Amino acid sequence: MKRRKFLKSLLALLGSTTLISFAYPLVRFIAPPSRKAEVKRLSLQKNEIPAGEAREIVLNNTPAIIINRPGKGYIALSRVCTHLGCLVGYNKAKGNLICPCHAGIFNLDGKVLSGPPPKPLTEFPLRVEGETIIIG
Amino acid sequence: MWQRIKQGLETRIGLEDLINTKLKSYSVPRNTNIFYTLGGVALVAFIIQAISGFFLLIYYVPHSDHAFRSVQYIMTAAPFGWLFRLMHVVGSNLMVAVIFLHLLSVFFMGSYKKPRELTWIVGWLMLLVTLTFCLSGYLLPWSQLSYWTTTVVTAMPTAFPYVGDYIANLLRGGEFVSGITLNRFFALHVAFLPPILVGLMVIHVFLIRRIGLSSPPFDASSEETKPWTEYRHVSYPNGNSFYPYFVLKDLYMVALYLVVMFFVITFIPTLFLPEASNIPANPLMTPAYIKPQWYFLAPYQMLKLIPNKFLGISIQIALIGTFLLWPFFDTKIERNILKRPLLLATFIASLVLWVVLTMWGRSS
Ligand code: HEM
Ligand code: FES
Repeated sequence: MKRRKFLKSLLALLGSTTLISFAYPLVRFIAPPSRKAEVKRLSLQKNEIPAGEAREIVLNNTPAIIINRPGKGYIALSRVCTHLGCLVGYNKAKGNLICPCHAGIFNLDGKVLSGPPPKPLTEFPLRVEGETIIIG
Repeated sequence: MWQRIKQGLETRIGLEDLINTKLKSYSVPRNTNIFYTLGGVALVAFIIQAISGFFLLIYYVPHSDHAFRSVQYIMTAAPFGWLFRLMHVVGSNLMVAVIFLHLLSVFFMGSYKKPRELTWIVGWLMLLVTLTFCLSGYLLPWSQLSYWTTTVVTAMPTAFPYVGDYIANLLRGGEFVSGITLNRFFALHVAFLPPILVGLMVIHVFLIRRIGLSSPPFDASSEETKPWTEYRHVSYPNGNSFYPYFVLKDLYMVALYLVVMFFVITFIPTLFLPEASNIPANPLMTPAYIKPQWYFLAPYQMLKLIPNKFLGISIQIALIGTFLLWPFFDTKIERNILKRPLLLATFIASLVLWVVLTMWGRSS
């Protein structure tokens, strides 16, 4: 009887060790593979975006937009809506950014004006050197 | 010829005895109604999904560069490809509808009560797995519709603080829906989920046979109400035998299922394939009017209405949990819902709420 009990515990130990030792490889295997950002920094000429116009770009694998706000200068914002990830579009006539999925509306600084998005759009660093705009 | 095959099987595996003990002497109540066939119809619906899915695999290419074109090829160039794709598309919607109806009728007839709690839970798990089937299959054609509904749905876990982003990234294999997501969902759809669903079906059917079918609770002659203190098989000495009576009833309903399916395929083939399903996925352009499938509209509308994302998703998980464990909350012996006005009112109110949310989600 003792022998049987010993063998039972041994089997339980071996079995659980085998199973547990697969946990780490498995977690690593299904974790998202890392992706290298293709474009980390981008530069444009000022005259490519006249006042009131916008330009869509992809920065750090993220769809983004550069807007030349009349009277307030350039801004680079992520287009990924902070609600559930659809892409906002620039509405020139109304001077805002609209998400087509659940009608979230942002102003040109990226702040939420209405709708379900919980926080403002992510802003990317942008500076102007002479005639060149550098983003990222 | 047929006789000789039968005779051969008889001497080897005792065919007659098998049929007698497993099919003929398995009795079902005399007063079963047509709602009792819905489970069988759901089973056949799954088999149809599996077979049409296997045929789609012959031409479908699970890669973001080729998926959309391979599905277009199935629809326009492969002989009768449209037939198998439409069977799969229409079938997936009908299958969900049949499971919903099955669940409602089981609830209405109180069949989830002791000793059938486990059967109910396994049924719910099968509904959840079926919805996961639909979600993962929906991305595979790699259309604008696929891409953006998947973007919205995989972003839902982000409502949870701390772990939310990690779960969402795990599902998508990155920050955005991409070719990596397509391959993950493909593996889920054709390799992980089918054996899980089949396994649950086996358990479900085993439980039903082992416990015995319930009878409708609406007349006096129904199942004895002796309290359940030890295992006993519920049988109906004056009932009908499962085969041929019940099997025939099932087959009639399966025929009706096929009629509905082919009616939709023939007369309203684009019912489940809106405009955006004919445009290849474009990760840089969200189309206007992205709506999930009809069966996700109610939860979707609810999420839009509740201003706090975390609260919205928590309420939904709580609701699913409540229904899943319902037999343990509702332990009254009385199975006839008509004698329980409060339960009846809750049932009707939930149903109305679901319909209203669905219509609202569709129109807003
Ligand atoms: C073994 C079982 C199955 C296999 C092998 C399979 C295979 C496939 C394949 C290859 C596709 C992509 C082709 C296409 O989109 O037309 C697909 C799509 C799809 N599947 Fe399945 N499937 C199976 C079961 C199911 C089940 C049980 C459901 C749900 C009830 C389901 C729902 C869907 C949906 C909604 C689509 C997207 C349809 C579309 O828009 O084209 N599948 N499936
Ligand atoms: S994803 Fe933008 S409002 Fe919902």
